[in-house]
Amino acid sequence: MIERVLDTARGKVDGADVLWRREEQTAVAFESGRLKAAGISEEAGINLRVLAGGRMGVAGTTAAKPDPKELVARARASAELGEIVELAFPSPNPQSPPPIPTFFDRTANASLDELIHMGRRLVERLARPDCQVNVAVEREVADTAVGNSAGARGEYRATGIAVTADITRIAGDDVLMVYDQYVGADMPSDADLEALVRSVETRLTAALKIVAPPDGALPVIFTPAGLAAVVLPLEQALSGKTVLQGSSPLAGKVGETLFDERLSIVDDPLTPGRPLSRPVDDECVASRSTGLVERGVVERFVYDLETAARAKTQSTGNGRRGVFGKPHIGYTNILFRGTDGARATGQIAVLGGGLIGDIDDGLIVDDLIGVGQGNVISGAFSHPVGLAYRVQRGEITGRVKDAAVAGNAYDLLKRIGGFGADGRWLGARFSPSLLLEGVSVARR
Amino acid sequence: LKDRLAAAVKQSRADYTEIRVERTWSSAVAFRGRRLETATVSEDQGGFVRVLNRECGWGIASFTSLDELPAMVTRAHDLSRAVRVEEPIRLAETRPQTADAILELDGDVRGVSLGEKKKLLDRYNGAMLAVSDKIVDTQSSYRDEVSEVWFVNSDGTSLYQLRPEVVVSGTAIARRNGNIEKGLESIGLRKGWNSVQNFEDQFRVVAKRAVDLLEAPRVKGAAYPVILDNELAGVFIHEAFGHLSEADFVYENPQAREMMTLGRRFGKPVLNVGDNGAAKGLRGTLPYDDEGTPTQDTPLIKEGILVGRLHSRETAAKLGEQPTGNARAISFRHPPIVRMTNTYIAPGKQGVGFNDLISDLKLGVYACGAFGGQTMLENFSFTAGWGYMIRDGKVAELVKDVVLAGNLFQTLDRIDHIAGDFTWNQMGGGCGKGGQFPLPVTEGAPHVRIEEALIGGDV
Repeated sequence: MIERVLDTARGKVDGADVLWRREEQTAVAFESGRLKAAGISEEAGINLRVLAGGRMGVAGTTAAKPDPKELVARARASAELGEIVELAFPSPNPQSPPPIPTFFDRTANASLDELIHMGRRLVERLARPDCQVNVAVEREVADTAVGNSAGARGEYRATGIAVTADITRIAGDDVLMVYDQYVGADMPSDADLEALVRSVETRLTAALKIVAPPDGALPVIFTPAGLAAVVLPLEQALSGKTVLQGSSPLAGKVGETLFDERLSIVDDPLTPGRPLSRPVDDECVASRSTGLVERGVVERFVYDLETAARAKTQSTGNGRRGVFGKPHIGYTNILFRGTDGARATGQIAVLGGGLIGDIDDGLIVDDLIGVGQGNVISGAFSHPVGLAYRVQRGEITGRVKDAAVAGNAYDLLKRIGGFGADGRWLGARFSPSLLLEGVSVARR
Repeated sequence: LKDRLAAAVKQSRADYTEIRVERTWSSAVAFRGRRLETATVSEDQGGFVRVLNRECGWGIASFTSLDELPAMVTRAHDLSRAVRVEEPIRLAETRPQTADAILELDGDVRGVSLGEKKKLLDRYNGAMLAVSDKIVDTQSSYRDEVSEVWFVNSDGTSLYQLRPEVVVSGTAIARRNGNIEKGLESIGLRKGWNSVQNFEDQFRVVAKRAVDLLEAPRVKGAAYPVILDNELAGVFIHEAFGHLSEADFVYENPQAREMMTLGRRFGKPVLNVGDNGAAKGLRGTLPYDDEGTPTQDTPLIKEGILVGRLHSRETAAKLGEQPTGNARAISFRHPPIVRMTNTYIAPGKQGVGFNDLISDLKLGVYACGAFGGQTMLENFSFTAGWGYMIRDGKVAELVKDVVLAGNLFQTLDRIDHIAGDFTWNQMGGGCGKGGQFPLPVTEGAPHVRIEEALIGGDV
C-alpha cells in the first residue's frame, strides 16, 4: 500500500511520506464481577504527507480500498494552504534498526478463552463483600509500515496487552474507588497479576478508615499514579513544540540546573517489553533514547521532523501520527528516575514507597481529580484528592476526603525530599513515588 | 445501504442483532501562533455490530472494511456465544422506529472551501494575537463534520441520521517572564457554516483576560460562598450530578442503587435538573440515540428530589424503568453506553439576577468560565477559567487558579439561590467516559449560588 501511494505521489509532489497501520483488538469485560461482553475491532488506515511548492499538506483515510490518486489530490489541496517548511525526509538508514522486540507470540496467540480465564481469575482474587469489581482485558496486534520518497522504509509488528481492574466500594454516601493496571507488550506473568492484586488490596485496606485531612504547607508523597499532576507540566514544557511557540518555561534553559540534582528524565523507545517501544518512529526516524533532564540539568527537548526543521536541530525520533491529521510530537516511554536507581523497584505493594517514616504529618496522594484541566504548562496545579491517605508520626492513619492539594511543579521539583523504592510502569510512564515538601493542602 | 444492513441483520443467527454504519466527512484547520498547522479534509467510515443471545453476553465487532459486514455479524455471534452469563441480559421494549432524520445543516460545510475556513479561523486567531504583545502563543482550531449514520436492528428499527457539527475554539497564551496564563473561547454547535460567523469580539475578550490574569493573584484556598456563572454552573451539574444519574453506574450495584434511590432529597426546593436530547440545535441533540431510541426531555431532580435517571435499553430493563434515549457511542469504533446529551439546571424565578445572588455576601468567590471538570462519583473537581472575589456584596478583584473541590451530596444541598438568567453553553470539547472522548454534549444553567464550597489553592 505504501509503495502504491508513494508511486502515485512521485512527480506530482516534491516529496512525501506515508504511514500505514492495521490494528486488531480483542477485548473482554467483566462488569460487577460478571463477564458481560467480548468484542473485536479491526481497523486499517493510511496517512499521507506531501511537500509541494515547499508547503506541507496531509490527508488520511480509513477506506477499505483507498484510491491513491484521490488521497494524493487531497494532500496536495491541503498543501496549497500550508506553510512553507524546510523539511527533509530521512534517507535510508545504512545501519540496521535497533533490535527491539515489539512482537510477542504469546500475546498475539492468546485465545479468547485465555483472556476470559485471566480476567475471571483476577475477579475471583479481588472479590469481597460490598465491593463491585470491574476487570477488562484488551489485547492488540498492530502492523505498522512507514516510508518516504527519500527511500527510507520501516516496518514492524507489535503486540500489547492491558489488564485493568477497579474496585468500587459504596458505604452510605461514601464512594471509594481503587484502580490499577498491567500494561505490556508481553503477557503478564503470574507475579505481575499478583502484584496488581496486592496493589489494589493494599490501597483498599488502608482506605477503609476515614480520617480528617490536615491543612497547611505539608510534606506530600505522590505515588507513581498520583504524580501525574506534577509531571504533566514537565512533559509539556520539554516538548520542542512549546519551546518553539515560546510558551515553555524551560525554553532557553538547556544546561541550567532547574531541578533536584538527583532527578533524571529519559524518553526511551527501546525499553524491552513496553507497548510503545518500536524500531522507528512514525516518520521513519530510527529510535533512540533521549535524555531530557540529567541530574537536574535540562538537557534536550523532544522533536519530530517538522519542529526539528524549524528549530534547526535533529528529530529525536518522537514523530507520531494517526490516520488523520499531521504528524506531531509524542513521547514514547518516559522514565523519571532518581540517581540511586538501584533500589528503584520491588516495593510496589508498600504504599508510599518506604518514604513515610520521617513524616510527622502529611499526605500520600494516589489520585487527583481534574489533572490536565488547568493552566498545565505554567506548572501551577490545584486539585481535589481522589484517593489520598494521611500520614501521622510515620504511619498511615487512614483515607482523607474533601481535601485539595496545590502547588507549582517546577518549584516543588527543585528539592525532592525522597525517591521511593516503588518505581513502576504506569501506562507509558515509569516513576517511583516522590516526596515533595511544602505542598499546600486545603480542607473544607 | 439500509437494505444491505437489513439483509445482514436477517441472516444473523443471534437472538438480537444491531448494525450501525457511519460515514463521516470532516474538515479541519488549525493555527498555532501565526503559523498554520494544518488544513485537511478527511473521510472516515466503518461499521459496528452488536449481538445478544439467550444465556450469553454481548458479542461486539467494529471494523473499517465494510465488505466484511456479513463475516463480522458471524464473528459477533461467536463472541456472544463464548460469553456465558448466569443472569440473562434483557433489553427494554421499544417501539420499532423507521425514519430519515436529517438535522438542519445551516450552511452545508461540505460546500465551503478549505481556503474560506482558513480565512475565518485566521481572523479569530489574529484577533487574539492583536490584543497585546504579551500574547506569545495561540492554539486555534476549526473543525466541522457531516456524519451519516445508518442503524438497523432485529427489532424492526431502521434509521438514517444526518448529523452536522461545527466547532471553533481558540486558546490565547499570555506570558510575562515565567508567568503564563491562558484564555479559552470555544463555540460548538450541531449546525453548519452560518452559525460560526462574527465571533471576533469573543476571541478578543479571552485574549485580553489572559493578559489581565498575569497580574491577578491566586485565589486563597478556603471554603467560601461561591457564585457560578452560567457556563461553570452547566459544567458543574454535568460533572457533579449528571454522571451519577447515568444508570449504568447503579444498575449492577445495590449499594449505588440505594444511594441513588428515586425520591431521595438531593437539594433545596429551588433545584430542578434534567437532560434533554431533543432540544433544538444543541451539540448534544439527536433525534435518536445509538440504539434507535428517540431522545426526550428527562427530569432528573424536581424541586430538590431525585425523580429520574438516564438509561440505555439494558439498564432500563434491569431497573424496570423506561429507556430515555441516552445510549450513545462516539463512533462506530465503540458500543453505545449511557451518556448525557444536553444537561441543564432549570432557571429560578424570572427577574432574579446575578446581583440578587451577591448582595448579602461579605466575602465570596465569583467563579467564571470552565477549563474543565472531572468526577470520581461522590467527589468532583471543576476548574474555572477565572474568578473574582466578592467583597461586601460587590464584585472585587480578578483572581486566578480557581478550582472547586466538591462532594456531590454536600454541594448540591448547599445550592441556595438560582437566578432566572438561563443560557445554554455553546461550547466545543466534549465528555469522556469509558474510553470514549470527546462526546458532543451541552450544558445549560443560570447563575447559581452555593452557600459554601471548597476552593483549592495556597493557604
